[in-house]
Amino acid sequence: MTGRVLSREQDVVYELRDVVMVYSGQQERANDGISLDVRRGEIFGILGDNGAGKTTLVRQMVNLLQPTSGSIRLFGRPVADDPFAVTTRVGFMPQDGAVLDSLTVGELLFVTARLRGESRSGARSERDRLIDVWQLTAVRRRPCRHLSGGQLRLVQLALATATTPPVVILDEPTANLDPQRRQMVWKNLRQLNREQGTTVIFITHDAVEAEKIIERVAILRAGRVVAVGEPAALKRRVDRQVRLELETGAEDPPELGTDLQFHRLPTGRWLVLVGKDQLPAVLQRLDLERYEDFRIYSCTLEDLYLHYAERAGD
Amino acid sequence: MTDRRGRQAFAVQLADLLVVQLANWRWGWRSMAVLGMAAPLLSITMLGILIRDSGVVALEYVLVGNVVLALMFENQNKVSSNFAHMQAKGTLHFVATLPVYKSALILATVVAFFLLALPAVVVTIVAGSRILGVALAPSPWVLLVVPLCAIPLASLGALVGSMARTPEEAGSVSLLLTLLLLSLGPVLVPPERLPEALNLAGYASPATYAASALRQVLLGPVSGRLALDLGVLAGLSVAVLWFVERRLRWRVG
Repeated sequence: MTGRVLSREQDVVYELRDVVMVYSGQQERANDGISLDVRRGEIFGILGDNGAGKTTLVRQMVNLLQPTSGSIRLFGRPVADDPFAVTTRVGFMPQDGAVLDSLTVGELLFVTARLRGESRSGARSERDRLIDVWQLTAVRRRPCRHLSGGQLRLVQLALATATTPPVVILDEPTANLDPQRRQMVWKNLRQLNREQGTTVIFITHDAVEAEKIIERVAILRAGRVVAVGEPAALKRRVDRQVRLELETGAEDPPELGTDLQFHRLPTGRWLVLVGKDQLPAVLQRLDLERYEDFRIYSCTLEDLYLHYAERAGD
Repeated sequence: MTDRRGRQAFAVQLADLLVVQLANWRWGWRSMAVLGMAAPLLSITMLGILIRDSGVVALEYVLVGNVVLALMFENQNKVSSNFAHMQAKGTLHFVATLPVYKSALILATVVAFFLLALPAVVVTIVAGSRILGVALAPSPWVLLVVPLCAIPLASLGALVGSMARTPEEAGSVSLLLTLLLLSLGPVLVPPERLPEALNLAGYASPATYAASALRQVLLGPVSGRLALDLGVLAGLSVAVLWFVERRLRWRVG
């Protein structure tokens, strides 16, 4: 960072105001008055459950969908005014695995770098760099149509970050990936952000892992932004709660009091957010013999999501 | 980093996208090589048997009509199918997120499928003329006429493919268009054997002008009519490309 003061236009990468999206033939709003700013050089996460309108939102941000009303500006200019203003500055990774699948991985990376403005030799260098960064050497000569879901996801990440655009938008970057490769993805995105100043915007369900790199987060529910800010600041609002996780094979939630609301987590676990003042009483009621495992820890990004999603639903 | 960056010139995009679309040869070569040649040759053989005693003019119409079928409608169907699949799989939207001109993608696809169809067209002309016993008298104008025959309907195929909800729907619309335009005007059948209404309707069909141009440049003689045919085909190529560029569904909604 140079330390110079940036104007608002320079500082804000994306500016969304009252964005409403209603799909043709539907009554329900997929996005309902969304307003938020994404700042230059930040790592911005978008959390929300299925159908919250996350994918619809980012598709509008990359100009694949036109909002029913409201405005989306990229570097101060409406995205619909000049499609090239978006495509030359934003690398986008869609949720589905659509690429030019008649090409091999190496060819696709080369062509993408070319179409993003590289010379032939520059595109070759960029292809080799991306293959190295995203660990694609083993599939370099494989046709894209023959890739597994995880391999395709890495290729899509390489495509979105090809030629290092100022902004990358990633829809579920770690979907279909094993834990080792998920770690690699977060590491690469963090590195891209730190070394190149790239603004990284992504959608994820993987809130626990994403917490390692997210600097600001927007939580969506039913098409609306229910909270936006730095995770630490948002946590301060809910830090009167701790997270109690119980592992049990039972289908029904544990019985610890009617005022507690349990959320089912994968692999037979149950989660409840407990107020700090309630904790002693809850622990007294807890029969540890009934549970295979239990954990108590402070609020995570996932808890934030659950807290705000619940509160908005009340 | 708000400077404008990363957009290639139209010609560079066209060349790169042409290579991308030519790569369809990898999975489609069997269909292109075998069906692209077998369908018109079988049609020529069967129709040739049926009208063997109808005179050389009728045989010439069968030959040229099948070349039109291979050059115009096969191309149109393949381009339509390619765009429909790109639409269904989301590939079109992937391309839309790159700094690419729509017209470069359309033109690259049309030219690529034209080049991929050329071997089948050449085989159809050469083998078809032998099967039917029709003498070829090719003119240098053939180099201009052949691409001009392919571009208008192939471009229309891009529009049909991109607007269809499914690849199956694109295939049906494309087939309907093929049957409709082939039956209008003297394409496969000499004008004197067609009802007057179909001859008149043929003036509105690009296949009529394509067939007329191909007959002149493949079988001779080249007459003043070629200027009209070329003018119509060239004008139609420009108009359809312009229209498709405007109408191609680039966005999701």
